[in-house]
Amino acid sequence: MSNFIERPRYACALGGALSTMRAIARAVPIVHAASGCGYNLYNTMNSGSAYLGGGYCGAASLPSSNVTEREIVFGGEKRLEEEIKTTLEIMDGDLFVVLSGCMVEMIGDDIDSVVKKFERAGKQVIAISTPSFKGNSYYGYDLLLEGLVKYYIQPAEEKIDKAVNILGIVPGEDVFWKGNLKEIKRVLSLIGIRANTLFGEGEGLKEIQNSSNASYNIVLSEVYGVKAAQAYEEKFGIPYITEQIPIGYLQTEKFLQEIGKLFGISKKMIEKVLERESGIYYDYFERFTDIYTDADLQRYAVVVGDANYAPSVTRFLSDELGWLPKLSVITDILTDKQKINLEKNYENYESGLKVAVKFDTNAAAVKKYLREVWEPNKNQKYYDALSPLAVIGSILEKDLAASLNAPLITVSYPITNRIVLNRSYIGFNGGLILTEDILSTLVAGR
Amino acid sequence: MSIVLSETAPAREERLKAGIAYGGTCAYLDECLSKGCLSGATRSFSQTYGCQHGLSLGILNTIRNAVTIMHAPLGCGVSAVNSVGQQGATFQRLRDPGAEGTIIINTNLDEVNVINGGEANLKKAVCYADREFRPEIIIVVGGCVPALIGDDIDAILADLQPEISAKLIPVTCEGFKTKVMATAYDAAYNGIMKKLLGSVERNLPTVFEDFDEYKRKYLASKTVNIFNVGSMSKADEDELERLLNAIGLYVKFLPCYSAPEDFSYTLENALNVSICGTHDDYYIQYLKQEYKIPFLIDTIPIGRKNTTRWVLGIAKHFGLEKEAEIFLKREEEALEKSLEPYRKQLKGKTVYLGGGAIRIVATAEVLQDLGMEIVGFKGHHIDNFITPVFEALEKVDDVTFNVATQQPFEQVNLVDKLKPDIIIIHSGLNNITPKYGAPILPLFGPTFHYMGYSGAFDIARRLLRKLQNNQFNKNIAKNLKIPYKKEWLEKDPFTYIVSE
Repeated sequence: MSNFIERPRYACALGGALSTMRAIARAVPIVHAASGCGYNLYNTMNSGSAYLGGGYCGAASLPSSNVTEREIVFGGEKRLEEEIKTTLEIMDGDLFVVLSGCMVEMIGDDIDSVVKKFERAGKQVIAISTPSFKGNSYYGYDLLLEGLVKYYIQPAEEKIDKAVNILGIVPGEDVFWKGNLKEIKRVLSLIGIRANTLFGEGEGLKEIQNSSNASYNIVLSEVYGVKAAQAYEEKFGIPYITEQIPIGYLQTEKFLQEIGKLFGISKKMIEKVLERESGIYYDYFERFTDIYTDADLQRYAVVVGDANYAPSVTRFLSDELGWLPKLSVITDILTDKQKINLEKNYENYESGLKVAVKFDTNAAAVKKYLREVWEPNKNQKYYDALSPLAVIGSILEKDLAASLNAPLITVSYPITNRIVLNRSYIGFNGGLILTEDILSTLVAGR
Repeated sequence: MSIVLSETAPAREERLKAGIAYGGTCAYLDECLSKGCLSGATRSFSQTYGCQHGLSLGILNTIRNAVTIMHAPLGCGVSAVNSVGQQGATFQRLRDPGAEGTIIINTNLDEVNVINGGEANLKKAVCYADREFRPEIIIVVGGCVPALIGDDIDAILADLQPEISAKLIPVTCEGFKTKVMATAYDAAYNGIMKKLLGSVERNLPTVFEDFDEYKRKYLASKTVNIFNVGSMSKADEDELERLLNAIGLYVKFLPCYSAPEDFSYTLENALNVSICGTHDDYYIQYLKQEYKIPFLIDTIPIGRKNTTRWVLGIAKHFGLEKEAEIFLKREEEALEKSLEPYRKQLKGKTVYLGGGAIRIVATAEVLQDLGMEIVGFKGHHIDNFITPVFEALEKVDDVTFNVATQQPFEQVNLVDKLKPDIIIIHSGLNNITPKYGAPILPLFGPTFHYMGYSGAFDIARRLLRKLQNNQFNKNIAKNLKIPYKKEWLEKDPFTYIVSE
């Protein structure tokens, strides 16, 4: 049975499905739920995802059946049918996806049978069941992709060698998703791999349709996108691998070596690529060696984030910035098996450091763990303080950071203190941008 | 009609015969209001808008020393993320420097709870909130799922209360219960009515001075409770307080940013005054019924005429009309002079307004005062509280009025036909509205000033700023598309309004 969550960092399955739909150009959701579901979830996504906005057809433009007591008592299928019919008259889109909320799932509305009536309407209408009591936003991303695989994407005539799909980066929940997809596409192209990122710049329904031609799915997460990858495997026979998101030079180097091996790309080619990229990367790093040393920008760190960001950011701080991360808290709802897998990502740091890894969904828990990993001040004459310190987390860590007298750098959802456009925190470029953002915070007072 | 305190507040479509769908002239709207023929209409195409819990949290999350528990699956209540993040704390600290900010817990109801009930999750959450944060009150807000699985939140909290040091407040506001989003306010007040009203326990000094007691009672007899709204700013509150202080009255603002015990303390004050009939009629009518506190619900103090009328209404109650008239005349003259340069530049510009009905009609008064022309209104819902607000306007009989909670599809159709020079609009629509290309002024904002005389000046100032450079919206309109078909824009904007 579930437990309560204090200050949750995700919405429900419907929320995740909606934020993923938000990332697909000309795909129009039709929400089958009470009036507030679509609108509240837009508010969640807009402010929490660094002001993502409603986009083409989100926010108050979302078609919604707005069921009330009458539908709850007599069933909402007739109302849904009316809403789909009128949506097709008014809204300009290429794919219409019915998404369901809790209350219509509980009363047993058969949304599949309703959309079947529109098979010959000239526009494609599909239904994907997204009951919120079944999981959070990350789960909703998987449900949506699973639904697209099942009802929308057709088998490809032939697979394309060295073509991959990127899964596991959840639009909206990963605030930097679009920039991240752009960079991952770029680094893979360096070694001759064509990545379809589904939700990236210039991509849309056509790319989603074509995703069945990939020879591999790369899931950039140990947790999210796995269900979707399994659906691809089952229907189209596309195998998948999971990888942690690579942040910075070292992690991206390792990532490219692994992917290169998987596709039988010559070591020589990869080495050539890496030589060029490291030249660029460390040319930028060279800029701040002065200030890094002069002002001693080494810090202790506390990292709080989701299962994608927390492990990779913590390793980046240790192995590239030469910092001392002491505590890394992963805030997702996870199974024991997932936790064990994630813990492995904290092993074998080049720095030799060991970081305390905790799993907790409650925001107030971080402070408690900090007392476990660092001896509190008991008014000793000489106290070894956890200072200087930086907190890398979400906006929910603002008060924690303030109480520790440490600057806060927001990388994980929710982020309300900045506006994010095409910024990326993964790959080679992402490592540079993350460094820029972290160190800028430290020199902001100058 | 007397208000019977029950577990839930009644839906406004029943209690006030409020309507959510109408399209026609202001004159015909007035006729419909007097005949009561608006509440039956609905739409065969609809778009999403807020529900009860969203707006309830808008009030409840501001209350001091409180933790809110959203009893629902994960998605509900996460919309408060901006207030949880930092905004909540920022605005709370304007009134209470030590405020901790918003803390919200979700009971995370899952499939098992859907079958077995959510009582266990709720109990655990309440105990955690009490132990971890030591709040004065814990507010439990119930969403759709507990209502459907039959969780009796009132009973669960009553059972649990003896073990918990915080006072437990049940608020039921399942979204599917009403089409009128503003029922949310009644739902939030219903919780306050159930648990936070009562006599105040004061610590009496050992040596009792009569004088202190006379002084307290005297001040209470001159103190007005003003029911603020989440869309107001601290500057708005300061202006209203200034106007009432000037005629010798004291002010206490409720319910936003109050401490839990304020709801009881303010029962001793002389008068309850609404700022907006959409927000608080249910509550202050109940206070009249139970505690014999007189109340005023009239217009909203936005614009010169509305502000004067609002202050005069209060002054009259205290027999202070003469003093008020002298003061208000001076204020009006000062405003008049300050608006003059703005009139020259704003005169003749056409405006479309959308948002809460009372708010937009009141704001229109400022625009008419500046010589601008109203070409269209879109109000969230409609009921008889709109009538006094319309009285400040001139020549609007033929202006189009659309009753629609958000519903941007009707808005784009209307705006395309009306072609206003400037749009004043509610939040939630601004992925669409800028694509028309006109300059836009937000209808409200917790950091902006709109109310009273100084608010009217501020509106003029901001309007002119918006008109001085509209490059942003122009470029947006040129480069981004709206999600509505061309054929739709050619149809009658009210095609999809149907009677139930």
